[in-house]
Amino acid sequence: MDIFLQSLVSGLLIGGLYAIIGIGMTLIMGVLKIINLAHGQILMVAMYITWVLWNFLGIDPYLSIFITIPLVFVFAEGLSKYLLHPLIEKDSILPENQVLMTVGIGMVLVELARSIFTSDYRSIQTSYTEKSLYIGKISLSFPLVIAFIIAIFLTIGLFYLLSKTDLGRSIRATSQDKFSATLMGISAGKITILTYGLGSALDAAAGSLLLPVYYLYPDVGPLFTVKAFVITILGGLGSTVGAIAGGLVLGIAETFGATYISSGYRDATGLVIFLIVLVFFPGGLKRFTKV
Amino acid sequence: MEEKKTKLLDVSKTEWIILASAIVMPFIFDFSPYIQGLLIFILLWVILGSSWNLLAGFTGQVSFGHAAFFGMGAYAAAIPMLHFKISPWWGLLTGGLAAVILGYLLGVLVFRLRGPYLALGTLASGEILRLVFGEEEWLTNGHVGILYMTTWVSKYPYYFIALALAVCALISVKLVMKSKAGFYFLSIREDEDAAEALGIDTKKYKNVSMAISTFWAGTAGAFYMIYMGFIDPEVVFALHNISIITILVGIIGGVGTIWGPAIGALIMVFVQELFRSAIFGIAPQWVSGLHALIFGVLVIIVILYLPGGVVGDWKLLLKKLKLSKSLEVSK
Amino acid sequence: MKVFKVFSLLLITVGLLISFNSCGQSETGPIEIGVLLPLTGSQANFGEMEKNSFELAKEEINKAGGINGRKLEFVYEDDSGKPDVGRAGAEKLISINKVQLLAGGYSYSVTFAAAAVAQQNRIPFLVNTGSVDKITQPEDFNLTTEDGDKFYIYRLNPPVSEYASGLEGMLSEVIKPSTVYIIHENTTFGTKGAKAFTKTCDKLGLKVLGTDSYSSGTVDFKPLLLNAKKTNPDIVYMISYVMDAALLMKQSRDLKFYPKMFIGAGAGFTMPAFKENAGKASEKVVSATLWHQTLPIPGATKYFDDYVAKFGGDGPDYHGAEAYASAYVIKDVLERCNGKYDSETIKKSLDKTDIMTAFGPVKFQSYGKKIHQNKMNTYVVQWIDVNLKLIWPRDLANAEIHYPIDWAKVWAE
Repeated sequence: MDIFLQSLVSGLLIGGLYAIIGIGMTLIMGVLKIINLAHGQILMVAMYITWVLWNFLGIDPYLSIFITIPLVFVFAEGLSKYLLHPLIEKDSILPENQVLMTVGIGMVLVELARSIFTSDYRSIQTSYTEKSLYIGKISLSFPLVIAFIIAIFLTIGLFYLLSKTDLGRSIRATSQDKFSATLMGISAGKITILTYGLGSALDAAAGSLLLPVYYLYPDVGPLFTVKAFVITILGGLGSTVGAIAGGLVLGIAETFGATYISSGYRDATGLVIFLIVLVFFPGGLKRFTKV
Repeated sequence: MEEKKTKLLDVSKTEWIILASAIVMPFIFDFSPYIQGLLIFILLWVILGSSWNLLAGFTGQVSFGHAAFFGMGAYAAAIPMLHFKISPWWGLLTGGLAAVILGYLLGVLVFRLRGPYLALGTLASGEILRLVFGEEEWLTNGHVGILYMTTWVSKYPYYFIALALAVCALISVKLVMKSKAGFYFLSIREDEDAAEALGIDTKKYKNVSMAISTFWAGTAGAFYMIYMGFIDPEVVFALHNISIITILVGIIGGVGTIWGPAIGALIMVFVQELFRSAIFGIAPQWVSGLHALIFGVLVIIVILYLPGGVVGDWKLLLKKLKLSKSLEVSK
Repeated sequence: MKVFKVFSLLLITVGLLISFNSCGQSETGPIEIGVLLPLTGSQANFGEMEKNSFELAKEEINKAGGINGRKLEFVYEDDSGKPDVGRAGAEKLISINKVQLLAGGYSYSVTFAAAAVAQQNRIPFLVNTGSVDKITQPEDFNLTTEDGDKFYIYRLNPPVSEYASGLEGMLSEVIKPSTVYIIHENTTFGTKGAKAFTKTCDKLGLKVLGTDSYSSGTVDFKPLLLNAKKTNPDIVYMISYVMDAALLMKQSRDLKFYPKMFIGAGAGFTMPAFKENAGKASEKVVSATLWHQTLPIPGATKYFDDYVAKFGGDGPDYHGAEAYASAYVIKDVLERCNGKYDSETIKKSLDKTDIMTAFGPVKFQSYGKKIHQNKMNTYVVQWIDVNLKLIWPRDLANAEIHYPIDWAKVWAE
């Protein structure tokens, strides 16, 4: 029973982080209709910013989200405005040109990080990274608990933005039907650019929150890109509630997998489920949540 | 026979010259094995790029998992050798077929998907195969990989075999695209629903395109095994180094053009090697660390300014170059 | 017109290729040895460490007069950690630089692929890091163990199956455990290491209560560790890279998981970064290792200090020592060639190698399925008061084993 509860709690905590990564991806996929293969690399960039702030300026990683988020937001805006958005008007044979652009962006980001920071592993050791909370026999990693709480606040903030503000309504409208949204007077182009920034900013927040519990090297990104895909497909494309559910499900599934499936097939099992959901249950959890 | 083919294929003078020089070159110049190796790699990427291009560029079904077929072909050549001492050369026949079977099975699954979903589906399939081949040690030797002492030390035989395969791949793409099926492919790419409405059996033609494409990818994989003499799942099922690079070769050269992947392969190998060797040892050593960065920047520039690739936007490229020249003169 | 253009373009390309075609070994200039290392890509930091060590050794050797008056020069080729690039690199070294001896070889797959090139070109290859067992097994190269004179691969480092051999004595004489739990990363290194240790356990009569693997990217090891805790093993054996090793130990401490001993299989557990990241949780952890700077091997400490003085940082681990030793083996081998530096003479000289290096004694032997394999002991170290101390073999040790361990006290805040 202890093991069961521990797995559940660990999974939930990690799932909270995955959820923010997933929401970022699902926003981008919903509005831009592309898969963002640079998602993990942007996470990596945010992690390096957090690391630099901590290492050279001594800024606490959790405080640094106030710097990381706007920085990455502006950076991603730039990427979106100057590299991704122009492709929409370009006459090209494959609509996947934008996806491939994200591949190019990802490659460049990784190699830049490697030339600046080398391939060495980096991590953050703060006074509290080693602390743990105990509920009965279950141990909760202190930084993960903080990360989870911040993740909840970020999600609430995002919900407010999406449901109560004009900007949020425009994003949702563009995501549902770009053409009609344009007819309603929404500048779809601006919204598209903005959404990429917003999705990346969430990704960045996840990066800052992840660093105290994990570590960092230039190639860390793809791992999380794959997770983001799984979450988005599980949750249903463009659904924020779905992404939260998807993130938590993935977190729990991973820890239970680690507990109860003892073989190298763990990763493969995840991908097979992913493929099955993708092919046979398009829409994922969105079917049930309808949001 | 040759002449008849010429008519059907409409081979231009330039194409004849390139083919002729490719055949003659090794007899005139004394290439070092290192250069020969690079040439063979270019040809290998020509096959792989053309294979992807048929499915993605001409039929519009963008695969992010071409490594699955490449790896399948490589293992189809290697596994019989490992267990039954059957020469991996048979892989040139069986590799392609094994990949076609895999492609058909995958097609049943992923062809229900479109656009980004198809991309994700193929991507996941490739990754699943990589994990399975790494795990089933009794069959594949697992992560340790399979070693084969290659038949010849000299590279010339491999060069000519790769050349023959690349030419066959290009011819087959050209022939198919001249046929009725080719037009169906294009109509599926342009608008699948409209094609369906016009009475084209889109399912069937997507499978046909998949079959030809996977055949060449599998054959390329088998050739890789025979030539390199070493494979492991991380190498032949690599997401980045095979699946993604294949796409980039197609994109840089020109999606949906016959010669695009060939030019893309040439550029990719050349740029990579140019920087990896630190511009032939002239530049300082740190330059060699930049090869992946430079290639990434090149990809971004091509997608941004030459969306049709070097071949697709050849005229645009010339115009841009000329324009910049005339600007310089006017200064 | 167009035809002419294309043709001239081709000619220019070919011309470029040809110009890049010629250079080779001269009679009086430096003796060039090819070195294959991952200098870019994700393994680049180890490649860099080995390259620095080769360079350090080269400077020392040349300062002391070189090889019979001629200078020693290493020509590096970057394999990017990919077998196909490594193969091309080996070919370039052999065909263009005309080197008569190859060295280096970091990752097992690159080394394996490059070994085939060396073997086919009859150029000896002195491997110093690639650890998969097959590299020195002639049967994988269509030869038998009788074909020593036709087998051109030599290996200075022990194969992965022998990485933990040093533990055996300590386990059977001091700890005397009866049960063990194995946790490993699901890579070749991890899987092979776990299998080898399972065999060791069978030999020592230890019961393996469970074997569990994890994949890179695991943030939370607690479920896995709880599974291990549930079986209540005497010792926990872990094969992990440095950052995962630190996470594993930190989370074991969180869970109050107190087996008799935590044993790492080298890899990440001996690096300074492990101590920094695991903090308190690194204390009293034991690890097998191939080398450590405090070993009473002549030159080991000097090499470590010189390296830190020259390149800074945390200093090298066993990878660097392997490269440094390899350079000295090469010097020794070349000096015994009597001025004839062709591949066959070098190979014959390699066969007769028997020297002491900063990495330990080097002598290429045949045993089991392997030939040309340097057989060496591995060591056991323990983190004692934030310092890594050698605790086994006992006659070399510079500290007493801390055992039994009261984890609750050791790991207290």
